[in-house]
Amino acid sequence: MALSYSFRLAVQSILHEKWINLLSVLTIAVGLLFTVITILIVHNVDVATDRLPEKFSVMLYLNDNVSRQEVDNIVTTAQKDNAVEKVKFIPKDEALKELKTSLKDTEILDGLGENPLPDSIEIKFRGESIGPETVKSFTTRLKEIKGVHDIEYGEKFLSSIYSLRVGMKTVGVVLIIVLSAGMLFVCYSTVKILFYRKEREIETYKLLGATKGFIRSPFLIEGAVIGFSGGLLSLIGILLLYYLVVLRLSLTFPLFRFIIFPIDMSFVIPLTGLFLGITGAAIAIGRIRY
Amino acid sequence: MIHFQDVSKHYDNQTALRKITFSIEKGEMVFITGPSGSGKTTLLKLIYMAEKPDEGDITVADREVRKLKESLIPLLRRNIGVIFQDFRLLDNRTVFDNVALALRIRDVAEGNMKARVFDALKIVSLRHKADSYPHALSGGEQQRISIARAIVSEPAIILADEPTGNVDPDTSGGIIRTFKDINAKGTTILIATHNRELFRNTGRRVLRLDFGNFAGEEIA
Repeated sequence: MALSYSFRLAVQSILHEKWINLLSVLTIAVGLLFTVITILIVHNVDVATDRLPEKFSVMLYLNDNVSRQEVDNIVTTAQKDNAVEKVKFIPKDEALKELKTSLKDTEILDGLGENPLPDSIEIKFRGESIGPETVKSFTTRLKEIKGVHDIEYGEKFLSSIYSLRVGMKTVGVVLIIVLSAGMLFVCYSTVKILFYRKEREIETYKLLGATKGFIRSPFLIEGAVIGFSGGLLSLIGILLLYYLVVLRLSLTFPLFRFIIFPIDMSFVIPLTGLFLGITGAAIAIGRIRY
Repeated sequence: MIHFQDVSKHYDNQTALRKITFSIEKGEMVFITGPSGSGKTTLLKLIYMAEKPDEGDITVADREVRKLKESLIPLLRRNIGVIFQDFRLLDNRTVFDNVALALRIRDVAEGNMKARVFDALKIVSLRHKADSYPHALSGGEQQRISIARAIVSEPAIILADEPTGNVDPDTSGGIIRTFKDINAKGTTILIATHNRELFRNTGRRVLRLDFGNFAGEEIA
């Protein structure tokens, strides 16, 4: 079958039913726009929180009279854990020196007779291993070791960040599923309506000996055009939103500078529209019976 | 070419055809006649598989239709050119496109299409209406377009359901002459009509139906 003929029929139908098709394209464009915004938010939160491991560390504060052997034991125990990347012993003198370096006004420390800081051990984790549960069980085990006085690691901060990540991902996935189902339904309904309107025409095709492919192709092409156009429109919308709004706002609010638009999305958005359009149309046509 | 063996067809409580048996050989031109509601259209529908028989066996172009896979139905239908009683023309296509549809479905190359469509339109004397739309044509003209669409693909079998129902006697004569010409080239033709004038003195075989029963056959 000449594909060009199917294209011609699809284009004729799109122009003939221009309002319903335009409405579908706009609905898909808006749906995809919201989907992409959701993905962008989830992606940016993910990227932002992904940098956390570089800064995150657990501090073990040791007893005053801790022996060298006890320190070595703590270090060795910590290093044995697969989640741990780096263990660094910080003697109290070094800690004080660092504190003095970090403080502009050191006079406050001059009055101290004795170094009040304890010896400590800084533990850094591998990026993929950082999670509230992992860190908590790790610190609980270390707390039992002789010589460890206290452990500090910003438990609430870590939990909040991970709750945010998981929450955003969950909400994002649910939203994407709901929006995708909505867009699929729009494509399905549009093609279904057109299919019903052309019922007699399709019946004639069948009686004249048309194959299922011949009957289906124009509808699939129509669904594809609607979906792809919706995707393209959505891409234009998101690019305008990003370059005209986000980048402009970033001049005033530096936080916006960190919002990233993955360039791959430029291909993915229209292709997603195309996929949704074809799938919706295929479902709408259903099984053709002779 | 077409063989019916004890074929019956029922619609709800009504019997449309009862134990019909007949054969049409390749290259024959046969008429089926009978009053309205005698089962002529149902019989044609069984041949082009728009309906399935409830009982009996039908063979068309050496294929037993009952055993035919669904995917092969379009291929069987491509051997048949049907002139429907209600024409089944597509209102949103020009006359040319309506006739060309039969070729497009058969995957005929665009290059050959134009000449074949115009030839078919010339046979039904509507070459000049190629760019018109069906709704702008009279009933008779629409019927002739339907004939052009049925003959354009040069099928092995032509089924015509009341092909002269909407035309004047002169045009009817012209249509029958067209069928005879096509038949002379070896095409099997089956014409369902209640108009006895159409086959009078044609010397062709006439099958008679009477309220779903086979009422015999004669030579006109």
